[in-house]
Amino acid sequence: MKRTLTVCPYCGTGCMLHLLSEGGRLIGVEPSSTHPISRGGLCIKGWNAFGFVHHPDRLTEPLVRKDGVLVPTGWQEALSMVVRGLQSVQARHGKDAIMFASSAKATNEENFLLMKLARRVFGTNNIDHCARLCHSSTVTGLAETFGSGAMTNSIDCIDRAKLIFVIGSNTTEQHPLIGSRIIRAVNKGAQLIVADNRRIRLSRHANLHLRHRNGSDVALLLAMMHVILAEGLEDREFIAARCENFEEFAAIARDWPPERAAAITGLGAEEVVAAARLYATSPAAMIFYSMGITQHSHGVDNVRAVAALAMLTGNIGRPGTGVNPLRGQNNVQGGCDMGVLPDLYSGYQKVSDPVVREKFRAAWGGGPLPETPGLPLTLAMNAASKGQIRAMFIMGENPIISDPDQSHAREALQSLELLVVQDIFLTETAQLADVVLPAACFAEKDGTFTNTERRIQLVQKGVEPPGEARADWQIICELARHAGSQVMNYEDTAQIMAEIASLTPAYGGVTHQRLAPYGLQWPCPSADHAGTPLLHTVQFSRGKGRFALIGYRQPAEMTDARFPYTLTTGRTYFHWHTGSMTRRTHLLHREEPKAFVEINPVDAAAIGVRNGGLVTVASRRGELTVAARVTGTVPEKVLFMPFHFMEGAANALTNNVLDPESHIPEFKVAAVSIRRGQ
Amino acid sequence: MNASATVSLYTPRAAEIVSVADLTPEERLFRLRLCDGSELGHQPGQFVQLSIPGFTEAPISIASSPSRKGCFELAIRRAGFLTGEMHLKKTGDLVGIRGPFGNPFNLAELFDRELLLISGGCGLAPLRSLIQYCGDFPGRFGRVRILYGARNPEFILFRDDLQQWIDSGSFSCSLTVDNVTSGSCYEGATGFVHNLISTLDINPADCSAVIVGPPLMYRAVIDQLHCKGLPDDRIFLSLERQMRCGVGKCGHCTIDHLYCCQDGPVFRLDQLAGVKGAI
Amino acid sequence: MKTIADLELVGFFRQLASDYDIRVPVLLPDGGRAFGSIDDGALALGGGALPTKPTAVFFPQDDTLFAQGSGGELLVPEHSRPLFIAGFTALDLRCLKFIDRFFADGFRDDVYFRTRESAVVATVSGYCGPDGALLPLANGDCDLEFIALRGQWLVRAYSNKGEAIALLIPGEASADAVAEVGALAAIVNPDEEVIKAASALLLVDAVPDSFWEEIAVNCIQCSGCNLVCPTCTCFGVQDWRYADRLERSRMWDSCQLDGFMREAGGHNPLGTDALRTRRRIHHKLAADMTKWGELGCFVCGRCDATCPTGIGIVAIARQMVAQYGSFQAG
Repeated sequence: MKRTLTVCPYCGTGCMLHLLSEGGRLIGVEPSSTHPISRGGLCIKGWNAFGFVHHPDRLTEPLVRKDGVLVPTGWQEALSMVVRGLQSVQARHGKDAIMFASSAKATNEENFLLMKLARRVFGTNNIDHCARLCHSSTVTGLAETFGSGAMTNSIDCIDRAKLIFVIGSNTTEQHPLIGSRIIRAVNKGAQLIVADNRRIRLSRHANLHLRHRNGSDVALLLAMMHVILAEGLEDREFIAARCENFEEFAAIARDWPPERAAAITGLGAEEVVAAARLYATSPAAMIFYSMGITQHSHGVDNVRAVAALAMLTGNIGRPGTGVNPLRGQNNVQGGCDMGVLPDLYSGYQKVSDPVVREKFRAAWGGGPLPETPGLPLTLAMNAASKGQIRAMFIMGENPIISDPDQSHAREALQSLELLVVQDIFLTETAQLADVVLPAACFAEKDGTFTNTERRIQLVQKGVEPPGEARADWQIICELARHAGSQVMNYEDTAQIMAEIASLTPAYGGVTHQRLAPYGLQWPCPSADHAGTPLLHTVQFSRGKGRFALIGYRQPAEMTDARFPYTLTTGRTYFHWHTGSMTRRTHLLHREEPKAFVEINPVDAAAIGVRNGGLVTVASRRGELTVAARVTGTVPEKVLFMPFHFMEGAANALTNNVLDPESHIPEFKVAAVSIRRGQ
Repeated sequence: MNASATVSLYTPRAAEIVSVADLTPEERLFRLRLCDGSELGHQPGQFVQLSIPGFTEAPISIASSPSRKGCFELAIRRAGFLTGEMHLKKTGDLVGIRGPFGNPFNLAELFDRELLLISGGCGLAPLRSLIQYCGDFPGRFGRVRILYGARNPEFILFRDDLQQWIDSGSFSCSLTVDNVTSGSCYEGATGFVHNLISTLDINPADCSAVIVGPPLMYRAVIDQLHCKGLPDDRIFLSLERQMRCGVGKCGHCTIDHLYCCQDGPVFRLDQLAGVKGAI
Repeated sequence: MKTIADLELVGFFRQLASDYDIRVPVLLPDGGRAFGSIDDGALALGGGALPTKPTAVFFPQDDTLFAQGSGGELLVPEHSRPLFIAGFTALDLRCLKFIDRFFADGFRDDVYFRTRESAVVATVSGYCGPDGALLPLANGDCDLEFIALRGQWLVRAYSNKGEAIALLIPGEASADAVAEVGALAAIVNPDEEVIKAASALLLVDAVPDSFWEEIAVNCIQCSGCNLVCPTCTCFGVQDWRYADRLERSRMWDSCQLDGFMREAGGHNPLGTDALRTRRRIHHKLAADMTKWGELGCFVCGRCDATCPTGIGIVAIARQMVAQYGSFQAG
């Protein structure tokens, strides 16, 4: 029997667990009893994290498309097809005719290497990852206001918060060990405000549950700040000492009396007032938010409004406070940190900055590095359908299910000359690929993940990958060698981390050796630095906290006579994203075996459908038929659908309209119709 | 894994499908024979764990009487993963069988008594085992009356059997459907099966009742039987739960302290007194 | 009775490794303790009960029931070497006894007994709890007992297999030490009284449905309470079809999940959080009492420790007794 201490592969909470194996086969999981977050517990996905690893569907050999069919081949042929294909497209259409999609499921080391491969070996900044779809609004919005787009505080701070304000996060389902920590804090006396129009589990514990209309967050938050200013509840000392641009901002907020917000949000003015008072008068108020804030065509403004609320009341830089975006994927924080972003190197260093470029150029053995920022993932899909992107290399992502407007995504990928997918299963996206490269999963490799509280933790190999499958980092290095580059030779992932540390100030003091057992929280600039649990304590990362000037914009698509329902999308507790792992995990699949749409009992009665009956949901993009889940969780005229299920893909309906600054799609609001299905 | 060819509590026996017949749009009758030539060796009211590689197992009531030798029959509704796959199987295909399992109808308690056999939906399948048994040993029982309710005429199970039972003169059969679909040429009774009881002439001292059907049916039928003066220790029912193992280990079929796969599926109503959630 | 010094233990267990697969408490890289082989970490026999399910050594989270080759031939896994397990506490042992009977009753579960039957189980007791606290003596029901006393381990055998192993230890315990073991005080766990009181309330049906709703609102369906419980035995079954074989395995299941009893047709006898939470507690404290004549909870505290929101069985029992304790049985 063997035990391997590693990090859960699902959400950004970053629980650590032990993989148990016997004769090279995983037989179970045990939580780390001493880990600061797991504390001897796990959620249902963590307890079943081993459940898909030996699944018969795992990819075990490279596949190439011959006569329209994917057939097994050797690594040499597959790798040279990839490299020749990418180079040929670049030779004919320019360096920037190819796109790399990296993965928030892969390690920091692998993300760093794919970033290096794109920029150094293939000479393009066209690299991005799924943070574009989840927290790009945070990266943009918080970088501008605070200077750092990450959780300001630590999960431990929940125990010290006097009030917790959760907006746009179904925390018990999406970050269960954080959600449960909030429940414990509330049971011990902390106050809780939940702003979410679904009656999520946390709302049953809330002192105040605000069921505002989808996409009306800016109005709600501005009106709360109006009340705070009107009643003199702002922290003037903090604002004067730590912030800038306050007066200009205050002028905007003063324009938002609660009655104005009430009309937009559907709340009573008194609810807005109550929320403002509760939040502003608490000695330590901690905000959590997630996709309900970010996934809007005004996602960046939502983030700015949240940040402003915390600054206005001085709820930042102290234990038990802060602005805390809960990052979705196990390593989406790390993906951003590693610079798999079109405009940034690792550590959020701008590609447009010649000093930065020179640093990377020198470290990477000379040679030119591309100067202009590349394409965000969402724009790259649009560019692909227009023929401007001709080849795509996708590592561990499944855009056919995860991207908005599925038929658009499919058309974009099908119009490519070359699609390469590197993954652990033959996902719906991999089925369209010209070359499929079989990768090792989390349990089969070493490296690090960075969780939502900026904690860099060690991932360790428990078992061997199946068949010919290899770790992503090994495949990337092989690709570089096939492309004739000698700049990517590493003995192990610790060596890659050494390079990351040398080029990334926030990771400057990080070595694999130092990460045992529970990692370090960045910034950790030097070998003697103990890490940083709490950001912005004395001053903000950018110096002064900046109040951004924001205005309310309604969602891009509002309901009308033809599409009278608002569709909002998200995940369920039991599944992860596109389901490639969880739908192959016995217990998780059993709990949530099929696609569904949540509909309020009043609406269900109106269209004549019973719980479990089929309904057809249609938007301007498409339509699909799924089972109705009749529940008071959703308010009237609002439908909720999880996006995990290919056979009832919520993203066939969603609206591919983007926030102008972060380019995040508006997954949270689409206008749809619903009728009884057959 | 060190492995040796052997058997375990959890290894199924191979069985061959001898014939397949459509019963309703959702139900088929499979006749099976154990490949080793042995008899299944069941009693009316028992079930088997049907196993299909890749689809795990499901508990299925045995629909034929042990008095019919050589083969046994399973009536299977297409409801889930395994049963959907079973419906694709054809004559000559092999499946796995474990069992028979479970507490059967206690024949000793039914001998020489008037029987009221009440079923709804696919509850007629396990009851058919008992009905065939009664037919094969007519002298052992008093008058046997069959009450059966189906969703609608299309979903009447064992039509031919019902006709034959009536024709044989050994049974009286009353049939009802919840509602009649338009275009149907059905001319029988409509309404729920418990409504058939009130008009029956029942002597509580001589009569025992057996009920098998969907969960919703039990309460209503039991109330009617109580009105007729039938005591709980003369009412037998078969409960359905999601058994995974059939041998009292997996825990999926527990009802308080009872294991439906071991203590049941057939219970005498007085044994369920105070057991929450049983019916 | 034999005696062995702390420092000699590793060598002793290593000596047994020629005949047994050894499972002993080891120190993990995160500072926790768990059953492992001798080389998995420093031996940590002391420190009290291990935080996860101790009975997992015989009933692992994922266990192959059988494999079937493409020709239909069945293969049932076998374990070639018997297990030697040291580190059960006396409480764990009672749990083990409970599930031994469960798996033997009626149809004997050969998959469980294929490791259990040949295993040697050694208990730890004496002054080896957390921070050297006293753990209760087993006084039997196992093959061997390691009793921690003033820097040494006294070893007592209760079975032939245990005797044979104890013979390998040269040191004889002094008469004083034996007397001291005999004089060790019995340990009363105050939570045991709470659990018994809660059981009594459930057996007379004195707890209303609203109580379960109040508790269940906290449940996030992590299933941890079931998965760390030494007496939880529920499992689901999974088939994996590879190109050349089928593998059927069983894995731990949890009655806290909606799908646990949901039937193919959609009917669910445990369709709400409240019903499921009631089931979890009622099964241990009332159903097991009715079926086996004893409680299915030995108050080991594991579910209370793992539950992310604090609704382990002891916490619930406390609240139950506080709210409804005035109801008297009978």
